[in-house]
Amino acid sequence: MPNQSGSMYGLTILSPIIDDEKAAPSHDLQIRDYLARLSNREHSPFALTPGTHLARLVVMDDVIYVGMPACEEHLKSKYLIFESNCDGDLDTYLGGLARTIPTHLDAIWKHCVGYPGAANVDAFIDYMKACQLTTTFYFAAVNDKSLPQTLKALQTQTAVADFIAAHQGADGTTLQREFIQFATHLKTLPLPKPGSMGPHRDIKTGGHNE
Amino acid sequence: MSNINGKVYAMNAITPMKPWKTWILRAIFFLLGHIKPLQKDLIDLSFIQFARWVIVPRDGLPFLGDGQGKEQLRYDYLLFFSNFNGTWNQYIDAFSAVLGKGLNLVWRWSEKFPGSVPVTLFKEYIARVQFDTDYYYTAYPHATANDVKSAHIVQASLDRLEQLAQQCTPQQFADAYLRFVLEVQAHLGETGEAPIAG
Repeated sequence: MPNQSGSMYGLTILSPIIDDEKAAPSHDLQIRDYLARLSNREHSPFALTPGTHLARLVVMDDVIYVGMPACEEHLKSKYLIFESNCDGDLDTYLGGLARTIPTHLDAIWKHCVGYPGAANVDAFIDYMKACQLTTTFYFAAVNDKSLPQTLKALQTQTAVADFIAAHQGADGTTLQREFIQFATHLKTLPLPKPGSMGPHRDIKTGGHNE
Repeated sequence: MSNINGKVYAMNAITPMKPWKTWILRAIFFLLGHIKPLQKDLIDLSFIQFARWVIVPRDGLPFLGDGQGKEQLRYDYLLFFSNFNGTWNQYIDAFSAVLGKGLNLVWRWSEKFPGSVPVTLFKEYIARVQFDTDYYYTAYPHATANDVKSAHIVQASLDRLEQLAQQCTPQQFADAYLRFVLEVQAHLGETGEAPIAG
């Protein structure tokens, strides 16, 4: 299935934006204004929804004219592009969006043609699917791990580096005892918040682009 | 506008194609999707987290009625979305140097595509067909594609060592721990803020 790579789903949605010359500011500008004020870190709406690895929202104003001898043409509508790289099943993901961040979805998509609102989850899913484009070719560098698995692994990576640094030269008995404690403790740690920068660690290389 | 979040850059590009040519491109993508060795260069590039190409037929843009004007286009369009680590220039340079033939195979069906080499004309073309991202989110802004791959390697090694730790002698554990360190030592790079691109 071209929308999927392993367990990853590549969702591409283009929603036509309402073209109303009486609206001031225009609907596309209102979308852009809302998005500009939205956090893109741990307070992002997408951090609250399960399964979003990376996502973007883009207002596409028009197609692009590449110059002669190509023909110049224009779109009749502007489109809101929603591109998401998410875990698993599409209905579950879209339903999760509608249930966890309906206010944000409504604030953004109310400027789009035919948007039914997120309160009616089934209607929301149907609308999104009506606006979905099939991905022709989808590539995911890691395509067999869920978001919780990846967040956990990144947390483990940092912790292991610290553990190894702190236990250089330790004898076998101490090493074994403290490793078991470490591994047990690691399992009890809460997952890092999606969208967060992780624990602060100084960049040891310094300088520019080293 | 925010094309960058943490260590990831969001690129969007759209190029027009004559409709008869899109069938050739569909066939190329079909082969690329089904013959995994053909993806080797893309995988080896290792700074792309996710990428996708979407062919939009000239009558394929969503039409919902309700006052929306029906599009009347002459061209099909190729949409490209990429999530990569590093700067725009580094990305295009590497794309041109490593994936030159592959890129030509994908974009040569687009109008006015100059080829991926020489890179100056290629960059000019990409800059023309690219459009900016209004909102960009990543669940792990501090990590690159390589960090994520490495983290899963470390996690798998740790899980194996943990199983062993419960049932071996201290000497056996010390040996296993040494093997573990050798296994993961190349995968413990620092995550965090991206260095400043000078």
